[in-house]
Amino acid sequence: MKELAMILKKEFWHILRDRVSLFLMLSMPIVLVLLFGFTISSEIRNAKIAILDHSMDSQSKNLIEKISASGYFQVVSYPDNETEIDRDFKSKGGKLALIIPANFEESLAKEQIATLQIINDVSDLNVASILNNYIRSVIYDFTSDYNDLATDPLLFDISVKMEYNQEMNSVYMFVPGIITLIMIIVTALMSSITLSREMETGTMNMLLITPVKKVYVVIGKLIPYMFLSFICTIIILVLSVLVFHMPIRGNLLTLFVLCVIFMLTSASFGLMISALVKTQLDAMMMTMMGLFLPTVLLSGFLFPLDNMPYFFQLLANVFPAKWFIIAIKDVMIKGSGLHEIWLYMLILFGMAVFLITISLSRIDKRRKK
Amino acid sequence: MHELTKKFGDFIAVDHITFQVKKGEIFGFLGANGAGKTTAMKMMCGLLRPSSGIATIAGYDLKTQSKQIKKRIGYMSQKFSLYNDLSVTENMQLYGTIYGVKPAALQVRIRESLKDLGMEKYADKLVGAIPLGWKQKLAFATALLHKPDIVFLDEPTSGVDPIVRREFWDRIYKTASTGVTIFVTTHYMDEAEYCERICIMSNGKVMMIGTPTQIKTDIGVDSIEAVFSKFVKR
Repeated sequence: MKELAMILKKEFWHILRDRVSLFLMLSMPIVLVLLFGFTISSEIRNAKIAILDHSMDSQSKNLIEKISASGYFQVVSYPDNETEIDRDFKSKGGKLALIIPANFEESLAKEQIATLQIINDVSDLNVASILNNYIRSVIYDFTSDYNDLATDPLLFDISVKMEYNQEMNSVYMFVPGIITLIMIIVTALMSSITLSREMETGTMNMLLITPVKKVYVVIGKLIPYMFLSFICTIIILVLSVLVFHMPIRGNLLTLFVLCVIFMLTSASFGLMISALVKTQLDAMMMTMMGLFLPTVLLSGFLFPLDNMPYFFQLLANVFPAKWFIIAIKDVMIKGSGLHEIWLYMLILFGMAVFLITISLSRIDKRRKK
Repeated sequence: MHELTKKFGDFIAVDHITFQVKKGEIFGFLGANGAGKTTAMKMMCGLLRPSSGIATIAGYDLKTQSKQIKKRIGYMSQKFSLYNDLSVTENMQLYGTIYGVKPAALQVRIRESLKDLGMEKYADKLVGAIPLGWKQKLAFATALLHKPDIVFLDEPTSGVDPIVRREFWDRIYKTASTGVTIFVTTHYMDEAEYCERICIMSNGKVMMIGTPTQIKTDIGVDSIEAVFSKFVKR
């Protein structure tokens, strides 16, 4: 045990002496959260909308008022006919047009039905689909307000209800993603780099000649970086709660246990990579291509997995990030407890056990060869 | 050591080598690059597992008692094997501790060996900041902290100037006189003359073993360098 403590002490000395890396590791979560939080926002405010109102009655005015009061839209023009909509899209930067049919109020009252037409500028697909959702929810609000007052309720009902993230806040999407990326950088990347550095400089041989247990050397390498990435996770959580008002609905302890398990998985990925390569540079490239890139693309963090070809959906299962992101979203946003996410934890833990076993046996084999 | 062999696939790096080293002896291991010196030494230290053959080191069997052997040997490698970003004292603490030296005893030994080296003023300096010659002496002292029976020195003086090399050999003599066996590989032929007995390796095989004088007389030349060039030409 004294030996393990000594190795841990040594690793902390290494980390604390390398001021630049330490600074980068600790500032990275702050920069990423602020960058993602303020720039890559899927929330759109004051999108320009053109409204072609054929009826000009009190209900259509109500609807228009609701749209401009929503905060999502800014009415930039009231074209007189369909061709003018196209003109306003081009000259006034309109993203969306709403056409209210003639006799809107009358048909609502008499037939309990009205047909609204929405025209989208889909030159930016993401923006279009987000705005589409916004306008639907505004119309939904309008109909439910109408139904509250009307004697004959409207028959139609757009039953779109956003669960768990009613405000469609983008912070909910990127915080779990950033935690994942940071943990992979700090645990997998850093531990694989420092392990292969010791192999490169020959100090690893020195350690293996000593009577110290091989497991201690490896654990001694992994724990300090897991500790660091835990600090980073806390930084991210504190920032996202304080600056972006991200809720943590689940149990904090469950969340931390989940994070520790994921750190272990990601550290064991780093261990396996360093067992496969010989130099620091290879370790870095391999972590980037073999782990970091798939994590960004295949974790469901930036691109929804459901839209991917089946092969990639299958492939995503191999990488720990997918399971972690599902689980951490469940805990933070839905408030799921241990009994709901235990399966994900088990998968991550299983991956860690598997990776540690094969990398230790690989290191052994290298020695026997 | 008997018929010790190491194969890497079809390549035989160390081919049935057999020799004995006496306690307290300075035993030199000579050979060109790729002759199998380092591989043989790595096997003796437990870094590589022998493909076949038997060896007894410090009274323990290499195959079955490697744990006991590890505690009884010290090792210093050709590449500088201390941590550059740790201070002199920290490096010594690290290796002393993982070799199982008790903290109180370790404190005393570190202080003594720094005093002996005349390196007290460097105690808290980072190893990366001290000159190479000092580093090598430090690495040697560190390999001795746990009072091993045998010290393996893998090209300990490569890259240092002649004066430091001379000082280094003085230390080797001093250490051997306390009963520690010194097993040293080198490619400096003049250093071979300092050894009590030498072993010349080529292509994984032991070519000759004996005292430097004996070998020179047997071959009929007047320097080890001439002996060596004879073998390398073959």
